[in-house]
Amino acid sequence: MENELKQLIIDALDLEDISVADIDSDAPLFNDGLGLDSIDALELGLAIRKKYHVKIDAEKEDVVKIFSSVTTLANYIKSAQG
Amino acid sequence: MSDFILCNWNAWTPGLDFSDDRLMTSGNAAVPECVPKMLQRRLTPLARAVFNVAAPCVESGKNLPVVLSSAHGEICKSLDMLKTIQAGDEISPTAFSLSVHNAIAGLFSIAYGNSQEITVLAPGLEGIAPAFIEALGMLNEGANEVLMILYDEPLADFYPIAPFNLNVCFPCVLALRIALSGNGVPLQLYRNTQSRDDGEHPVQLLAFIKFLVAEERSLCLGNQGHSWTWHKK
Repeated sequence: MENELKQLIIDALDLEDISVADIDSDAPLFNDGLGLDSIDALELGLAIRKKYHVKIDAEKEDVVKIFSSVTTLANYIKSAQG
Repeated sequence: MSDFILCNWNAWTPGLDFSDDRLMTSGNAAVPECVPKMLQRRLTPLARAVFNVAAPCVESGKNLPVVLSSAHGEICKSLDMLKTIQAGDEISPTAFSLSVHNAIAGLFSIAYGNSQEITVLAPGLEGIAPAFIEALGMLNEGANEVLMILYDEPLADFYPIAPFNLNVCFPCVLALRIALSGNGVPLQLYRNTQSRDDGEHPVQLLAFIKFLVAEERSLCLGNQGHSWTWHKK
């Protein structure tokens, strides 16, 4: 799932110059790592909801932890899908 | 009446056939290299054109107060979102953020780290004069120079235009750097009471770009009883 998720990130966020191999599963997605911002977080949340039918509720969930890397995001989606 | 200096200008109008170094008339506007990579992906073709004309107008590394003026802004993005809603899909947060009237101003301030005063106007019938009035106000309040950026792109066929004269069939983007003194072309702006019918902001913008490259000394633009004259002194 990690690679599928990386491709989703690239497509949803128009990261034209980045390939799946460039994204480290455990590196931070926001700020220092991949350098995504808050609008990217919203866009990614929408893309995940569309593809995996998993809604990440910013009010209830620990979004900072969930969005911290590809690995944490994939784990959350897997657990939410049950 | 107000006197000012046009220090520099640059325009992008891929429909005009004039030979002038300051006028880009063909091709797609490229993304200036100084714009951070992660921000480049957010630049629409209109935003790219704005960045392209604004960059050479200002001394590198210098941040000026800015007045942006556009009748329609990124209206094509708004229409795309309306179609998405109509189709029952969710709209993209990124597309929404880039559709608002001050989206290009926001991108510009982030890309150049410009924390000066930035004003975005949406004049219709009043045309391009309000942008000048705003910029002259900033100069008279103490700014040494003001960067003005006027832009519009063609409206989608979806929008009924008749009987209004508010559309040009190619994008027009103009950046001007103005000051109250210094080197450049001395210009005068004054109001007159002629009743005219010169079209709205996009149409007036094209007329003004032509005026900059032409020999004519004066240009009068307005609608109904409100008109303004720009005079090369």
